[in-house]
Amino acid sequence: MRGTSAPGAEAASSPDRFERDTLDILKRLSRRPIDPGPGSELLADLGFDSLQVLELVGELEDHFNIAVPLNALTHIRTVDQIVAEVRRLAGDQEPKS
Amino acid sequence: MIPNVTGHSIAGTLAMAAATSRGIRAIEHDGRVVDMPYEWLLEESLRIAGALRAEGLATGDRVAIVVPEVGGFIRAFFGVSAAGLVPVPLCPPAQAGDIATFTRQSRELLAASRVAAVVVSADIVPLLSNKEGPSRPVATCHVLTIEELANGPAMAAPVAVPSSAAALIQFTSGSTAVPKGVVLSHAGLHANLSAITGPAGLAAGPADVGVSWLPLYHDMGLIGALLAGVYARLSLVIMSPVLFLKRPTVWLESISRYGGTISFAPNFAYELCLRRVKPSQIAALDLSRWRVAGCGAEPIRCDTLAAFAERFACAGFRASSFVPSYGLAEHSLAVAFARDGISVDSVDAGHLVRDSRAIPIAPMNLVKPANPVNLLPLNGHTAPTAPVRLVACGRPFPGHEVRIVDDDGQALPERYVGHIVARGPSVMSGYFEDPVATAEALHDGWLQTGDLGYMADGELFVCGRTKDLIIRHGRKYHPPDLESAIASVDGIRSSGVVVFGINHVEDADEVVAVLEARASSTSSDIVEDVRRRVRETAGLELDQVILTPPGTIPRTTSGKVRRSETRARFQAGTLLTAGRGSVADGSAR
Repeated sequence: MRGTSAPGAEAASSPDRFERDTLDILKRLSRRPIDPGPGSELLADLGFDSLQVLELVGELEDHFNIAVPLNALTHIRTVDQIVAEVRRLAGDQEPKS
Repeated sequence: MIPNVTGHSIAGTLAMAAATSRGIRAIEHDGRVVDMPYEWLLEESLRIAGALRAEGLATGDRVAIVVPEVGGFIRAFFGVSAAGLVPVPLCPPAQAGDIATFTRQSRELLAASRVAAVVVSADIVPLLSNKEGPSRPVATCHVLTIEELANGPAMAAPVAVPSSAAALIQFTSGSTAVPKGVVLSHAGLHANLSAITGPAGLAAGPADVGVSWLPLYHDMGLIGALLAGVYARLSLVIMSPVLFLKRPTVWLESISRYGGTISFAPNFAYELCLRRVKPSQIAALDLSRWRVAGCGAEPIRCDTLAAFAERFACAGFRASSFVPSYGLAEHSLAVAFARDGISVDSVDAGHLVRDSRAIPIAPMNLVKPANPVNLLPLNGHTAPTAPVRLVACGRPFPGHEVRIVDDDGQALPERYVGHIVARGPSVMSGYFEDPVATAEALHDGWLQTGDLGYMADGELFVCGRTKDLIIRHGRKYHPPDLESAIASVDGIRSSGVVVFGINHVEDADEVVAVLEARASSTSSDIVEDVRRRVRETAGLELDQVILTPPGTIPRTTSGKVRRSETRARFQAGTLLTAGRGSVADGSAR
């Protein structure tokens, strides 16, 4: 599959490692059983409080070796948005390493 | 060179610190380090002050500060002060929750404090000019960036201000339904800073190093860490609260690396460390120089302190370093510090609840610096009812008084639970332009703290609240804010919403919402919608959502809901029987 589809199409169709790992981390940090999907909202659907959102950001930064900018924190509401942000930040970094 | 200014002003305090070679190391949310020697910080604040005056701002004007960066906030705060203006620190977006919450809060608080200008970092500008909805931008006053202000022209010295002038306005809760700005004078602030750092307080000296992650828009971080540190001319390490909440280890690593001797945090921060600092990380820590591990701003749990002391003992942490403390913004900050080690009072829960008396069921357990025994639960004790273990918050400062009084204001004897009231030079001037709220809070100079407690052996114990405030993770929530957020949920009668907290002496507040449902709605959807709404707007999880038929919630003759009565009936189990119908009846008339 990886070989046949363009990089952009891959993100839209099947979960890549960014999405998979982000969902795993979300499940691990939640204090109740959750089934996060791309459209789930962190606060409203997954029951994260403001403290857990920052815990999540810390875990994502460590896991993907990225730094999430401060102003991104206020705009992120859904799992999709988190994954997109992670993918963008990690992508920015790859050419350097 | 120390400019000639009133020593009791905020800028005067910085000018004194500028004569030392010490300063502040700011650690930003991404780990970036910014060093600001006090001497440089004074020069920088004179440049910012000059630029502010050049904008036409005049002595006594209020200036809001919305700067998420630690270094930027500190520069802005001292710049505003040096210009003879009154800083009004506000919560920045990343800590407000989502962008809608930030926008709503900022709009209300900027209007309530009638500021002449707001100082921001460049990132914030678009958020404040944001026209949410049809009408006006968030800030209708001057919006000035810290970057442009730093270009001067520098003033020669801070503007001299009388000590009775307002030094600072604190909106402590971020409440928008009842925005109350605590006005502190330079003299009041000075009295509290002197008490905090002086011999009866922390006895802070040049060898001390203060470390803090507490938000600077909040009293404990701003006054307790930043201003107290500058006042005592300490080396300070101040990190972003966002960094701490992302990685709590960074707090302890900074104490270890920089030889921190004084650091305060609410109870939940110690719990966060227990939950999230890994054994391999503990092994690399040296906490042996941490002599004041302050704990305050929310109920102090004996079990948390005991567990923290045990877990971090291998890193050199001592239980005797804990300094439980009590304070509130209306008293500048600190009311009492337990600086002689921890006293744990085990009292009978039944008497505490039924008779408002603290009957000891064991001798007070002391952890003195010289006697570092553990504070683990009482062994082999057989009490008639479960014991409640309360941690002493110490004694009032010299020149300050604390009393426990009954409902009529009469002083109560030792071990009787009553209202905590405080008097002395640290008490606020009043709430900003709110004579009614001020008159309710100050009776003949006695500040009604809204907290309940008792005295035993001269020590203050705090065991509840009379005011409606709800405290979670050191953050304060006002029921009217939560109620107005819920009121617009479909299926709810907008006039039939009550939210209250139930204080648990040894645990976090429980948050309950009682709602009157409309006839047509399905109960399970409403409950989930209400929970969602509260999470979205306040980042808070409701513990219980009680759906009731119309007419259940007690009201005043003018139709306003009676929150305390609702809570009392809920706790007595008579909410539904006293009203009409039952909970299962949620959709019936």
